[in-house]
This record gives sequence, C-alpha cells and structure tokens, in this order.
Amino acid sequence: MPTLTIDGQPITVSKGTTVIQAAEALGIYIPRYCYHPGLSIAGSCRMCLVEIEKAPRLEVACYSQAADGMVVHTITENVRLARRSVLEFLLSNHPLDCPVCDQSGECDLQNYYMEFGLYQSRFLENKIKRRKAYPIGPHVMLDNERCILCSRCVRFCDEVSKSHELGIVNRGERSEIALYEGRELNNAYSGNVIDICPVGALTERDFRFQCRVWYLNRTASICPGCARGCNIEIHYNVLRPYQSKGKRILRIKPRFNPAVNKWWICDEGRYGFRHIDASNRLRECEAQTADGVIPLGMETALKTAAAWIGESIEQHGKDSVGFFLSPELSNEDLYAILKLARHLGISKIDFRNPGEHPGFEDNFLIRGDKNPNRRGCVELGLYHRQRENGGWMAEEIKQGTLRMLVAFLQDLSLEPEFKAALVSLKRLIFVGSNSNATSEQAGLVLPSATYAEKNGSFTNFQGRAQRFERALVPLGDSLPENELIARIAAHFRMPEQPFEREQLLLDLRAEFPFFDQSTLDPPDVELAYQTTIAQREHA
Amino acid sequence: MSLETLSDQLLAEISEILAKHPQRRPALLPILHACQRRNGYISPEIERAVAELLGIPVIDVREIITFYTLLLPKPVGKHHLQFCTNLSCHLQGAEESVAAACRRLGIEEGETTADRRFTVTTVECLGACDMAPAMQVNDDYYANMTSDRVNELLDKLS
Amino acid sequence: MEKILSKHFFNPEARRLSFYLQNDGYEAARKALTCMSPQEIIEEVMKSNLRGLGGAGFPTGRKWSFIPKDSPEPRYLVVNCDESEPGTFKDRHIIEWTPHTLLEGVMIASFAIGAHQCFVYARGEYVRYANILQTALEEAYRAGFFGKNIFGTGFDLDVMIHLGAGAYICGEESALLESLEGKKGWPRLKPPFPAVSGLFGRPTIINNTETISYVPVIIRNGGEWFSRLGSLKSGGMRLYSVSGHIRKPGVYELPLGTSLREIIYTYAEGMRNGRKLKAVIPGGSSTPVLTAQEIDVKMDFESLAAIGSMLGSAGVIVMDESACLVKALAVLGKFYQHESCGQCTPCREGTGWMTRILHRILTGRGVKGDLENLVRVANNIQGNTICALGDGAAMPMISFVTKFREEFESHIFHKRCTAVR
Repeated sequence: MPTLTIDGQPITVSKGTTVIQAAEALGIYIPRYCYHPGLSIAGSCRMCLVEIEKAPRLEVACYSQAADGMVVHTITENVRLARRSVLEFLLSNHPLDCPVCDQSGECDLQNYYMEFGLYQSRFLENKIKRRKAYPIGPHVMLDNERCILCSRCVRFCDEVSKSHELGIVNRGERSEIALYEGRELNNAYSGNVIDICPVGALTERDFRFQCRVWYLNRTASICPGCARGCNIEIHYNVLRPYQSKGKRILRIKPRFNPAVNKWWICDEGRYGFRHIDASNRLRECEAQTADGVIPLGMETALKTAAAWIGESIEQHGKDSVGFFLSPELSNEDLYAILKLARHLGISKIDFRNPGEHPGFEDNFLIRGDKNPNRRGCVELGLYHRQRENGGWMAEEIKQGTLRMLVAFLQDLSLEPEFKAALVSLKRLIFVGSNSNATSEQAGLVLPSATYAEKNGSFTNFQGRAQRFERALVPLGDSLPENELIARIAAHFRMPEQPFEREQLLLDLRAEFPFFDQSTLDPPDVELAYQTTIAQREHA
Repeated sequence: MSLETLSDQLLAEISEILAKHPQRRPALLPILHACQRRNGYISPEIERAVAELLGIPVIDVREIITFYTLLLPKPVGKHHLQFCTNLSCHLQGAEESVAAACRRLGIEEGETTADRRFTVTTVECLGACDMAPAMQVNDDYYANMTSDRVNELLDKLS
Repeated sequence: MEKILSKHFFNPEARRLSFYLQNDGYEAARKALTCMSPQEIIEEVMKSNLRGLGGAGFPTGRKWSFIPKDSPEPRYLVVNCDESEPGTFKDRHIIEWTPHTLLEGVMIASFAIGAHQCFVYARGEYVRYANILQTALEEAYRAGFFGKNIFGTGFDLDVMIHLGAGAYICGEESALLESLEGKKGWPRLKPPFPAVSGLFGRPTIINNTETISYVPVIIRNGGEWFSRLGSLKSGGMRLYSVSGHIRKPGVYELPLGTSLREIIYTYAEGMRNGRKLKAVIPGGSSTPVLTAQEIDVKMDFESLAAIGSMLGSAGVIVMDESACLVKALAVLGKFYQHESCGQCTPCREGTGWMTRILHRILTGRGVKGDLENLVRVANNIQGNTICALGDGAAMPMISFVTKFREEFESHIFHKRCTAVR
C-alpha cells in the first residue's frame, strides 16, 4: 500500500493504482483525452503529463504507478506549459467547427482550452483536410478532421464490445480512424463510442443538430429495456421545444455504476425512449360506449373505475375481480396495487412476463428478460401465485368466474389464450402509457406515465433496487400508476398517506425485508459518459 | 470465402511461414511480404484472405499495410525506382536524378508508366549514404545516381 | 590501428564460413560456451565498456545483467538491424561483408543471457543484405554452430531473420518488438523495460547489430583489451558512417574518441572540390549539428555530450558551404514527419508543423517570428513523447536554427539563400 503525496496531500492507495486514479481519489482532476477508466492505457495523448519529483521529465499520470514516497505535482509551470502545448498541437489541425459541432459545450478541447490554452494561435500553416461527417453505422457519424486520435473508440471496439470494427490506418500525421470498406460500426454497443469521444469526431446521428447541449436538462434514471437496469441519464429539452420540433427526450446517456453497467449501455436501451413521445401515447381517459370511444375527465374516469370494481365485488364477490400486472411496473406501483387489492380483498393478482421467452442476450450487459422489474414482482410475492404466465386467469375468464380485469401496460391479446378470453370478459380496465390492442378493447382506459415521467425503482436481476427520478411532466392527463391507484383507493375510503412516495417506500421496506437489505441505489447524478464535467463538479 | 484468392504456391509458402512461427500474429508481416512478392502488391482480396487465415480482424491487416511503407496496397510498375532524397543523397543532388528519371519516362514522381514497366517514387534514407545519391530498384541498390547514370540504367532495364 | 569488423570489408570471400573459420571464426563462441559461465561473459563485456552502438549508448554488459536470472521463463535476444537513421549505414556493411561475426556475437550473447531463440530484425529495404546473412546462417547451421547441442555443451540456439517493412520507428526497440509480434510499430510505454517484459511478454535483450558484432573480439582478447582501444568511458572501436560533401564517403572503423576533424580530413580525405566545411551532423540525423569550429571534438559519448550534441549512431553527415541549411533542415523535417508513428500528439502534430514552417521559409514565405515558433514547437515536442523519435526531430531543429540563425534569417527577411553555389 504505497503512500504518495499529490499537490501536498498525502494519500495511501492500493498497489497498482495509477497517479491519475490516486489524484482522483483526492478530488484532483487531471485533464486527459486518451485515458478512460474503462479502457486499457494508451498513454499517447500526453495531456495528463505531471511532474513527479526525481523523474528527469514529465510523466503521464495515466500510466505512472503510485509508489511509496512519490511526490507528484499536477499544476506547475512546466505542467501548464506541457498541457498548453499538447492542446496547441491538437488544435493545430483541428477545424474551427465549434459553431456547427454537436460536441460544443461538452467538448474537452473547448474545456481544456479555457483552462490551459488561451493563447493566440501561432499556426500559420494550412490545416490538413480530411473526410468530414459521414455515417459509419446506424447510429454514429465520423468526422476525421475533428478527431484527435485518442484511440478510445478503437480500444472500446477491441476491448469492450470486442467487435473490432475500428482501426487507426496510415502513419504519423496522416493517421486516421477508419473502418474496413464495406463494414459498419453496428455492434450492439456502438453508441458508447459517441460518449467516450472527448471531441466532436464521433457524434450521434439521432441527436445531430437537435439541440445545443447547454439547453439540455439531465435527470438520473434507470433503463427499462431489460432486467439489467443500466443506470442512465435522460437528457431532455423542455424549455425550448421549438428547437427540437417538440421532441422532449433528446438522448439517453449511460450513468456510471460499477456494479451494474460500468460506463456503458447498449444501443437498444440508448434509443429505447421513442414510446415516450410516440403518437400512440394515451393522453386522456377514454370510455367505450355505444357511440364509440369518448374521452373522459380524470375524476369521472376514476370514479367510474372505482364504481365498476365496487359493483363487481358487491354483485359477484371479491373473486370476480382480477389485477393483471406487468414486470414493467415499478416496485412502488406494484406495492400500491397490492395495498389496494388487500384493502378490497382481491386475491386474483398475477403478472405475465413476456421476457420468459428470452430475447437476445449476451455475456455483457444485455439480458434476455426484457423487463426491468421481474425481480421486483418476485420479491413482492407475486411470483408464487403465477401459474403459466397468468394463463389461469384466461381460463377463469372463459369459465365466467373472473368477470372483471384491471390490466396494466401489456397487450394481453398477444397471448392466444387471452385473445380468445378477453371477449368473454364483462369489464376491462386498461392502465397504460401507450395504446395497444388490449387498450382498444377496454371499456375504460386510464393513461399512465412512463418511467421518464415518474419517480420509482426497479429491481434488477442482481436484486438491486435502483431508483429513478422524474424527468418530464406526464403527458396529457396521464399519471403514475401508484397515483391512479391512490386516487381509486380514495373512493374506497382509503387514506392518501400510505400511498405517498416516502411512506410507500417505508412500508415496502418494512414489509418486505428484501427491499430493506437490497442495495437501494440512489440516483446520483454522476455522469458516466463524461468524466470531465462530473469530476469538476465533484472537485 | 476468400481463401481461394491465394494461389497454391502462395498457400504453400504461407504454411511454411506459419510452421516457423509458434504464434499466428507474428507471421503476419512475413506472410504479407510473401503475398507481395508473388502478386506485386496486396489487394483487398488478399488482405481479407490473410485476415481470415490468421483469424484477425481485417482492419488490423489494413492498419499494418498502411503503416509500413514497403507494403503496397496498389500495384506498381515492373521496375520500382525508389530514389532516396534524404539528406546525404540530397546533398549529392538526388533531386536531379529523380527529375531525370521522370523526364525520361514522361511521368511525375509517384506515378507509373502507361506500359506498367516503371514507377518512380522518392523514399527516405535507404541506409546507403555512402552510395549517395542512392536508389533502390525492386530489391537492388544502385549507387551514385547522376542523371547520366539514371539514363544508362533505364536503357538497361527498358 | 588494426581493424576488427571492417578488416575484410569488400572481400566477398570473407562472407563464407570457411574463410571465417580460417580466421579463428567461432573460436570466441567456443571459448564462451565451453570455458565461461554466462556471468563471466557478462562481466567481460562490462569490463570492455562496450556501449549500445545503435545510438543510445547504454552499457551493454549492464543491459544483459538486467535479464532475470534463475528463472525458467524463456527469454529472447533480438538484434536490431533496422538501420534507418539518416547518415548511418554501418550495419549494412556488417551483414553484407562479415555476417558470421554477427552470428558469432549472437551465439555468445544468447548464451550469456540464456536465450535459445534469437531474432534478427533487418529493415525491409535490406532484403539483399538480409539474404547474405541468411545464407551465412544456413551455412553455420549446417556446420552445427546453431541448432541443438552447440559445441556439445547442451546449449540450443535458433536464429530467425525477420524483415521489416519500411518504418524508421521500428528501430526504436519497443516498436521493433511490436513489429516482430505482427503489429504496427507503435513504441510501448515503459516500464516494463524489455529485459523484464519484451517480446511476447518475455524477458528480451535488444542489441544493435554492431554492438553484438563486437562481442566475439571482446571474448577473444578480453574486455580490458577492448576497453583500452577507446577513450575512458566509451570502450573500443566503432564504425563511423561518413557521408555528404567529402571525398571518400564510407564506413571507418576507428577508436572511440577519434577527433571529428581526423575522421573528415584524414580518413574521408577532406572536403570535395576544395569547398569550405560548413556544418557536420556527428551521429545520425537526430543529433544536434556542429559548426566547422566544433570539429576538434572527440567522437565519443562524453565529449559530444559536453558540447551539446550526441554520438548517436556515429553517422557523420558533412555539409560544405554549398549546402543550404534551410533546405537541409526541411529535408530532415520531412523525414520525421513521414516517419512519426502518429501515436503521441506532440510528435504526430509537431513534426508536420515544423516541416511546414520550413517549407514556407524555403519558398520565400517566411515571416518574422517563424524561427522562434520553430524552436518553440521543437521544445514542446522534446521530452514529452513516449519514445525518442520526437526528441530526434526536435534536436536538429533547435541546433540548426540556433547555430546557423543568420542563414535562416536571410531566407525569411531577404528571401535570399546564402549558400555558396
């Protein structure tokens, strides 16, 4: 365990720790381009040069290992000069694209220039011209002129996605990032190269020219795309909707969590936000009448829902009503539903897990189970009731014993047995964010908020209950499921308090020790994709 | 897929190279040299075939070919005249011999004659400063390349 | 002074094993393998003061001593014959005229470090010369000098000759290793140094061709004998490659510490066409240039360092008054721009920048401040890169501009070349 001193502060670190890591532990941020904690060390950009006493020259902090008694200075005149000169070299052939570059505002050339550059350009030569702005895959654009050859993207494709699409061809100043002709950057994780590119060389096709990054709001969230529950950040633009043609969410970025997804997310997750502002979003309550579908006000709709449930219980008993849940619901939503069901004495609750027929899966992040909270359903005790994916409910509907169903989110008609059964159902209430065949069959539709529009937590396959925060106002009249439930419960004289966010969580943890013991990941706002800003804010 | 690109002779030579190398990747440069000796240059087909043969990403082979100046991604003339223009040769007037060759062949530096017999390129130090101005034609070194000697050599090669 | 390596230069007979054996060939190897321990060999080489003759000048015996002892791990000897430093052509002479001397050195060095596999990395352009070495190697194999159980000692050694493919950077030892492993010649970060983790991650000693070739005579005549041939800290002889505006370019084998004046005027027979000497690069293009007033310097590591230059690869490039030093420097600039591997920012971007400035000055578009900028850029490269190529590109810039400033200024301010035509 070597003890070293960095800028006058002593620190003891484990053997093998590099100076850049030790400095970070002290809250000292050393600028870098090629270094990325998730990749091998290249040591080539030379931005992280620091002064180490007794060393004959400046050393790169990313590669120098902490040694006992080592004395490091990260800001000296020599270090400033070296960083400034590295910047000057990088900028010498860098185009003046900032006004039209998507990276502006989160560009480490700009950031470091403001800190270490600020010189009058002494480069009188013609800049080298290179190929600009061309797609290299479904999600990524490459601009060779902007590239500073830090090789992060190449190392990502070699070491993380292991797909080996990228290389650096040619030699010296003619070196360029390239793909073999006819090949594409189309691996399942390709979008990450955009995040780790410290400059505007790799930009997002989807995000291109959509919004200046300084207009973006950022909220910590959890990807609902599969059981991994990658920690993400939602970047959205609510103040200037005209800039992005009304699109609220503009991009998803990974958020660092060493235990879950490290710095990365898959492309499925990165672009899996379209349903939030899709045209099939349910914006208001609807009722099926003889005259067709008519919109309802929220109060009327909730009253109707409560009345239907009450009538059914009264006339046909508690067992005539069932709740059909979804592993896409948050722990809090599920628990709220459970509370209401208990209050009403409803015991027919189950969920269907479409992900039980696993989709694509790999040995990195992507899970075959495409639901974010199957583990939550299991831990809430919903799983043991489950018989063949809720198929028993279809059976009971056909037999007429189950007369009314409150179905959440999913399209039950995708399941052949349900498709046949739904027509025999006397009453169907659908709660969900987007319309589907089931919502179209429902007598009453209650619009619910998407994960980006509510607070809550998902329990991932590892058993980590991970909290996510509301980024957007729910669209139209939609409300988070637990609020809808709370307001229906009010019609059954249940107090509001047990449904309030903090109380819900407290009760949940009290009743189910699993949630008390499991790692409840707080949504910290550390940006995984851009260590610069994060480190600065921390420092 | 692309292994048929490699002739039987070349494949035999490659197996010989592979037999000498316990690991595959270190055989890459010798194999590319062999391919170039047989085919004059390294075509994309050969590039892909070699990558497949060694089980390495084809972009890695591309990196190698574009990094090392002796590996040629495009064909050159039968006689590849490579004039050293580094310091010692420059001091002895290397540029004159380059100009003489270009004039005589009617091409610019870096070009190949229409009959594909000659290519003229300038190169960095050949390690033959005692022979300055020096040049290399295919594998052979030539010394003291004045304009006259360039013309004599071209007479001989034509 | 009796020649060692160059004794039989230009005698094609001398390449043959039979000739070599008649001249006590492989006797030093026999002595080393049969009568000496590896440790004794290393000590003898240490005593000889033999230093790395590729350019860095690191004491050879000490380098060998870094190899881990008593470890069962395989280790390698790599001979650097990627001779590419402008002005240097001595290794070519060795493999062309006395290949067996190198091979005998390989045998002794391999035994000393416990290597059973040696790679000779020759630059790709030297294909003909590498073939001569290959022929000699095959001859030696047939005679039982390589392969299994050499001299009945149980020592096994195989040698493989590997051709480079055109990259100056592969002369840098870690880039050379990368190249041997089938990769681009991108120098490695150090540590670990190759003696600990080199080729395929194994302990590896990399020596220059000339360095290894001097090993047999050291074993034959003793380290002290060799050491006394040279100056105090730089032992023995070395091959000076001399080129440029002199009467007799070529390789001269002389004791370390011979004066540059003597090399130019006595051995290379002085300046061509009776012209005046203007500038000399003493140790290959990367070493700081000397003026005509500085040629009394002794050509050894310490003496050149004392006047701010380096012995390097001992490639002496002589320039007379007809040489335009702006053009000369632009030629060198273009070389480093072409050969920079592209890995480190300062060298990748800086070599091109310097060359463009020089080209501008040369074509009459120089402006005030260019020279300051040139030196500033060079200084910003120097010391800030993984390998020494950046330093090698910077040193000529700084020294040319500093020592011959007027000539550069004349181009910038008067658009006139002061070289005497």
